[in-house]
Amino acid sequence: MLGLGVASSVAVGSDHVVDLEVTTNRPDCLGHLGVAREVAAAFGRSFGRPVYTVQETGKSVHDAIKIEIADLEGCARYCGRVIENVEVRPSPERLARRLEAVGVRPINNVADATNYVLMELGHPLHAFDLARLRGARIEVRRARAGEKLQTLDGVERELAKADLVIADADRAVALAGVMGGADSEITSATRQVMLESAWFEPVGVRRTAKRHGLHTEASHRFERGMDIAMAREAIDRTAALIAELSGGQVLQGVVDVYPQRRIRSTIVLRSSEVRRILGTEVEGPEIVRSLTALGFSVEPEANVSWHVVPPSFRLDVEREIDLVEEVARLHGYHELPMRVRAAPPSPERDLRRERELAISATLTALGYREVIVPSMVDPAENARFTDESPVRLLNPLSQDASAMRSTPVPGMLRALRWNLDRGQTDVRFFEMGKVYTTSERTSEGLPAERRVLTLGVTGLRRPASVHDAPRALDFFDLKGDLGTLLAAFDVGPWDFLAEDLRYHEPGLGARYSARGAALAHFGQLHHQVAREYKLRQPVYLAEVDLDALLALDLRRRTFRSIPRFPAVERDLSLLVPLAVMYRQIEEAVGAVPLAELQGFRAVDRFEGGGLPADHYSLLLRITLQSPERTLTGEEAEVTVRRIIAALGPLGIQLRSA
Amino acid sequence: MTIDEKAGKTLAELGVTDSNAIARLFEQVHSAIDEEVRAFLDGDIDDGELARNAKAFRDRWLARGHGLIARIDQNWLKQTPKESRGAVGAEFNRLRQYAAAQVETEPLLEAWRQKTSALSEVRRGPDLTLPGYERELGSIHPVTRVQRELEDIFIGLGFRIETGPEIESVYNNFDALNIPESHPSRDDWDTLYIDSNTLLRTHTSPVQIRAMRKYGAPLYIVTPGKCYRNENPDATHSAMFHQIEGLAVDTDITFADLKGTLDFFARKFFGEKTRTRFQPSFFPFTEPSGEMAASCPFCEGRGCRTCKESGWIELMGCGMVHPDVLRHGGIDPDRYSGWAFGLGIERFAMLKYDIGEIQNFFQSDVRFLRQF
Repeated sequence: MLGLGVASSVAVGSDHVVDLEVTTNRPDCLGHLGVAREVAAAFGRSFGRPVYTVQETGKSVHDAIKIEIADLEGCARYCGRVIENVEVRPSPERLARRLEAVGVRPINNVADATNYVLMELGHPLHAFDLARLRGARIEVRRARAGEKLQTLDGVERELAKADLVIADADRAVALAGVMGGADSEITSATRQVMLESAWFEPVGVRRTAKRHGLHTEASHRFERGMDIAMAREAIDRTAALIAELSGGQVLQGVVDVYPQRRIRSTIVLRSSEVRRILGTEVEGPEIVRSLTALGFSVEPEANVSWHVVPPSFRLDVEREIDLVEEVARLHGYHELPMRVRAAPPSPERDLRRERELAISATLTALGYREVIVPSMVDPAENARFTDESPVRLLNPLSQDASAMRSTPVPGMLRALRWNLDRGQTDVRFFEMGKVYTTSERTSEGLPAERRVLTLGVTGLRRPASVHDAPRALDFFDLKGDLGTLLAAFDVGPWDFLAEDLRYHEPGLGARYSARGAALAHFGQLHHQVAREYKLRQPVYLAEVDLDALLALDLRRRTFRSIPRFPAVERDLSLLVPLAVMYRQIEEAVGAVPLAELQGFRAVDRFEGGGLPADHYSLLLRITLQSPERTLTGEEAEVTVRRIIAALGPLGIQLRSA
Repeated sequence: MTIDEKAGKTLAELGVTDSNAIARLFEQVHSAIDEEVRAFLDGDIDDGELARNAKAFRDRWLARGHGLIARIDQNWLKQTPKESRGAVGAEFNRLRQYAAAQVETEPLLEAWRQKTSALSEVRRGPDLTLPGYERELGSIHPVTRVQRELEDIFIGLGFRIETGPEIESVYNNFDALNIPESHPSRDDWDTLYIDSNTLLRTHTSPVQIRAMRKYGAPLYIVTPGKCYRNENPDATHSAMFHQIEGLAVDTDITFADLKGTLDFFARKFFGEKTRTRFQPSFFPFTEPSGEMAASCPFCEGRGCRTCKESGWIELMGCGMVHPDVLRHGGIDPDRYSGWAFGLGIERFAMLKYDIGEIQNFFQSDVRFLRQF
């Protein structure tokens, strides 16, 4: 209800351990006190703080330790206390249990006391063996060039000059706010404890922790922003606890180095802003009550605004909007009104989406299934299909996924293989995704991304059935499907060109282009590549430039009146030299200026038999039609003769002639 | 008493005297004929024995002298006194004709032939019970399917679709969204980097920044697309996934619009009866921030495996756009306010189709794809 998600709740003895998800903005809730405050505020109840007294000896702490902050930017406050005559031993059962319940391993009474207060008040502390601090001196400073420190985890660390350290008279003894040093650690031999409770600047702690690959209870809290006021309370509480657990004596006083008192600035909260953001009125008294319960000090200003000072433990609250959130949170999101809000109407059409949907619809009608494949690839595999070097990742999960693909082919081949390996041998896939290039940059300097439509087909044209002899898919199925797809768009005249890409079977690759730009490359996968991918049947692939296709209008739908006079069909049985390709016949026939010629198509083709050597037979069906009258047989004959005449230069003759 | 036994007695011996009893008795004989003919035709008889069996059957009824009909003639008709013979004679003639039509060899064999030919006749025309010539349609990937469904709901509310690059600047992905390098909140996103200034976007939020800069306010958009996280794959995590975010910026957008519009959206997607719940949360780019949960669509909130017995399913993060984010988008936060949400499309698809493993989406298994 407050934004503290309950991840789990487990009974431990007579207690309950509640595991909360504390978001990064709420370090004040990384301890029991902060959570108690939230709960109390939410339920309108009060909450108690730990009760303790520090029994001090007559001896002054100032005689035992000197503390100096050399870097006030990194450390705004440093409190030190000294406890003498401690006896380091295991903590009492009850305290050890409590620590274990919240996942902290008990170590010894001194360390446990700091951890206990960490969990209780939320403030990290550190205990040094005072006898190991040379010169009885603490200095908070940046690390020196080449300085080294062996941290509590036993790792010898080379410090960076930006690292804030706690040092004694000679050397660094702790990484400030991150981890203590092994050399000044509390041991069973420790008799004098120097207790540290400080406020370290969050960004610096975060950088140091990251630099050294450390993430500790202390760094987790300091990098989120600790309560500078709590530094003092925490050290008193801890000193009292150590004295109680270890029989030690707390020296009199605290060395509290806090030269520049931090003052939170006042934020003006306007009731109009609460209304503007929340869409409802929250009563003034409720606002005051909520914020006060959360520890804010609130001064009303003519009841239309309030002067609010956030508490020292709420560094996340800096502006008016942050206060609005606090008000909303305690008011309860569920109490806020609801309103469905549509955008103002716009006549704009999303043409790209319409075109994308048209592609999907066409391909699914043709039996293609959409796949989504990973964008991240193995660069070596990628390189086998394109010269375009891929965008590489700095911190990949694995070599297999260490670059952004610059070709969609391997992804499609893997998709096909997955299915062939599982006995699914008839597959028609399409994928609409992106390829990423290093050779091209956007105006912002980012690697260019191109959208690409990939088709991958293999297996039977139609599944085996009683109605049809099974027949494998071939090049012309793919060519035809591409033609059907392109015909959904206003492509204009498009060109076909036989052209093998490196992964095409020689002589079985092709390209469609329009307006001088390639629209699609397609063909049969090279048998060697197929073998390497363990694809044991022919595979056909197409790569379509999706950006180019989506830039085109969908086919314009305009009505042309249906001819009133019947069409006449004539079949021409042609004898064609083998060297002549169908394209040439198409061009020759197309070039004849004949108003009546509605269209023509090849309906049969064969070689061998009784045909003259180096020739094939082609049956060309032509459709003739006049908008003005029914064509006579004689007129049809004249047209046919003109067509045959036009084919003459290609060495084509009528077979029957 | 069997028919055979009855045929051996006179009507007087059978106690049959009045015309009603006579009619009943003859009716019994008709039934006996029907029954025996049916038994004969149903019998399993070899072709070779057919003629002999038919003859034997015929003789049982029609043989001169000892056939049943002859005995009925002898014992029933002939033994009836002449004065009352009229009624019996009429019944007897009817019986004799019926028996001749049913039991005589020729009609019997004809009936046999009809019966057997009905079984072995060569059928004409196609076997219409064969499966039809079905054409297998393709299919849209479930993630795309759900994405379009989500888009459609917002298109219906007048939102437009905006997309942007997947390889983004660190600035657009983090800094402009109020996630500075120096703040631990940046660690909430496990990020794949290209270099120190470039990364694979961890959410589609940079598109919001781009759209704000491009169009200004008012702005109503949804931003679908691929996103990436440096996460080891498991049942619910994939390094590549799809997200859709929504953003509405206008002069009078309030938290009420956020709640109402997202509640509408949840009911449109999961069903009218769906209830929603909003709870505080934290995202650097929204303030106030929230999480929206919906009543579990599987158990209608009663508690089940999918909702881990809670009755609620966390659907998305949302909130009022942080003033700094509006400012980074070039929009004056004092004049405009906005709400935003972000959700994982795979998660919605998993909920909608009851899919347990996110990896199913990216394996391209035809047996999976065929189901959508």
